[in-house]
Amino acid sequence: MKKTLLLIFGITVALQLLIPASMILKHEKVMRDGSLYRFKTHPIDPADPFQGRYVWLGFENDYIIAPTNAVEPAYNERVYVTLDTDPDGLCKLTGWSRNKPEHGDYLKLKYWGEKYNWNAKDKSQRHLGLQFKLPFDRFYMDESKAPNAERLVRSVTLNLFEENTNLVTNCWANVKILNGTGLIEDVLVDGTSIRDFIAQSEK
Amino acid sequence: MRKVSSKNICWLNSELPLLEKADVLTGDAAKRIKTYYEKETVPLSGAGWAVTVFSIIGALLIGGGIILLFAHNWDGLSRNARAVISFLPLLLGAALSFTALLCSGKTALRESAGLFHALAIGGCIALIGQTYHLPSDMPAFLLSWALLCVPLMFLLSSTGTCIVYLALITGWTGVAQNEYRQAVGYWPLLLPALIYIYRLLKKDARSPATLLALYGLLFSITISLGIVFERTVPGLWTMAYAALLTGSYLLGITHYRDETGWSNPFKLFGTVGIALLAYLFTWTHFWDEIGWNYCRTDWGYERWGIWTDSAITLALIGGWAVIAVKAFKKNSGETTILSLFPILATVCFLTGSLTDLAEVINALIFNSYFLALGILYIVLGCRSLRLRQMNGGMFLLSLLIVTRFFDDEFGFLARGISFIILGAAFLTANLIIARKKKEVSA
Repeated sequence: MKKTLLLIFGITVALQLLIPASMILKHEKVMRDGSLYRFKTHPIDPADPFQGRYVWLGFENDYIIAPTNAVEPAYNERVYVTLDTDPDGLCKLTGWSRNKPEHGDYLKLKYWGEKYNWNAKDKSQRHLGLQFKLPFDRFYMDESKAPNAERLVRSVTLNLFEENTNLVTNCWANVKILNGTGLIEDVLVDGTSIRDFIAQSEK
Repeated sequence: MRKVSSKNICWLNSELPLLEKADVLTGDAAKRIKTYYEKETVPLSGAGWAVTVFSIIGALLIGGGIILLFAHNWDGLSRNARAVISFLPLLLGAALSFTALLCSGKTALRESAGLFHALAIGGCIALIGQTYHLPSDMPAFLLSWALLCVPLMFLLSSTGTCIVYLALITGWTGVAQNEYRQAVGYWPLLLPALIYIYRLLKKDARSPATLLALYGLLFSITISLGIVFERTVPGLWTMAYAALLTGSYLLGITHYRDETGWSNPFKLFGTVGIALLAYLFTWTHFWDEIGWNYCRTDWGYERWGIWTDSAITLALIGGWAVIAVKAFKKNSGETTILSLFPILATVCFLTGSLTDLAEVINALIFNSYFLALGILYIVLGCRSLRLRQMNGGMFLLSLLIVTRFFDDEFGFLARGISFIILGAAFLTANLIIARKKKEVSA
């Protein structure tokens, strides 16, 4: 009886170790072999009771440019979205499909509806395209540094407005992408890692 | 074997020589009483509770502390170092559980090992998520954590792990409803906990571990029922909750007949729940737009909710009816009044479906019901000279009176007349009782 119990216990512990281990292996592969893309972002600082404090990343290029009458996926539907790089070296979403793309990098994303841009000057809104939820929206940081990160980044980068009222930031996330999975490698402010940026400001 | 408090046995042992001395008992009778209690009963002490509760709290604090330490997010650690560290609490938990299993550990070891191990699973997954900046997928996180706890609950017979499991699936219900817009998966997820608790009940229905697990189960079901409900048919939940709480009360009085207070989780939970819900139902806005005529069809509500909500309500009403038939045979005023709760909720739901005056009618029905509850406990408390019961009744009655006095949903005239009639009824009842008492003493 005890032998059977110990055997079941062994299987249980093996399973408990296997799940986190497979998570590590999968994500290490993305970090090692994934292609690097830059996503323009602006960080905000919230907290998670289990995983600690992080900066929440809001992305600008989270949409595919499309006219108002474009064919769109169902709300919340997960589809494959292809990626490309714009002349500034930043990532942009180029198209979507229900089938896995045969060439190039892609992400599997949830569709969030049409994206509009509000122009405060002439109080009008402009249709931008189809918006998707980029899943890599958390960058975990030391609990004492995350609130500073938001404050500093805001004071350095979010003080400029383009004519059409788009927020201009020079803050971006380096994201490694492989087989539809994206993982944040680092968040950079003016080309400096956010961690180094905070360390410099604290000196 | 019957359980008798060790404090009572001590008292009896000190009383027997005195009774023998005072010629109330013969020496032989005193000896036979002493032998009976030594052989036919087992001492029940608070130590069992203390061991279970303290080991659970201790492991909970240490496990929670480790999760918080990880959540600090140490900047100096490399990704590889974090990956290794994330496994440490899990390995420590596994070693503790292994020791408890190998040595057939006692309650304290099993409980603390199981609980620590269960918390370490969550800590490990959370730290990996933090290391790789993984997006938050709370439903998947809680579900994997809960499922990995299931074998531990059975292998270690750990009630603490069962409570963690119940907390996790209850949490999952909340986040899953938010993320997927439905969480009916709660019911199959409840099965492992039900099997574990059924086994505990079979073993010893009155042990501290069983009672704690029952409290966990009742809290989990009460919270999750409201979340799982799709609310496509407004007001159906009133019947479901009424049946659940009354069913709990009836289980308490049929299966834990001699137990009161904390030792009877079903009765305590049912009584408090019925009083609380009946009070909420005394407000008119609870009955605003309820019934089949107000079925919700906008995007926030699923159409199939009509079927799932009705099935859950019918199952709970069916369960209540089965236990109620047994309980009604007791012919007790308290049981009858409390058992009426689901019937009244059903009548009020039907009133909402059939008339436009449901708000006022239903609020009046429940004001009368709450008034009856208050009077019932005052009368029962007076009869049995139980001050706590009488004060409970007084509290219910005062709450109703104060609330209605300031409630502007009812007009001044209606409130004034009702208060005067009620006051007159109380004074008349008081007069009749006083006269009867005089007659009896004469």
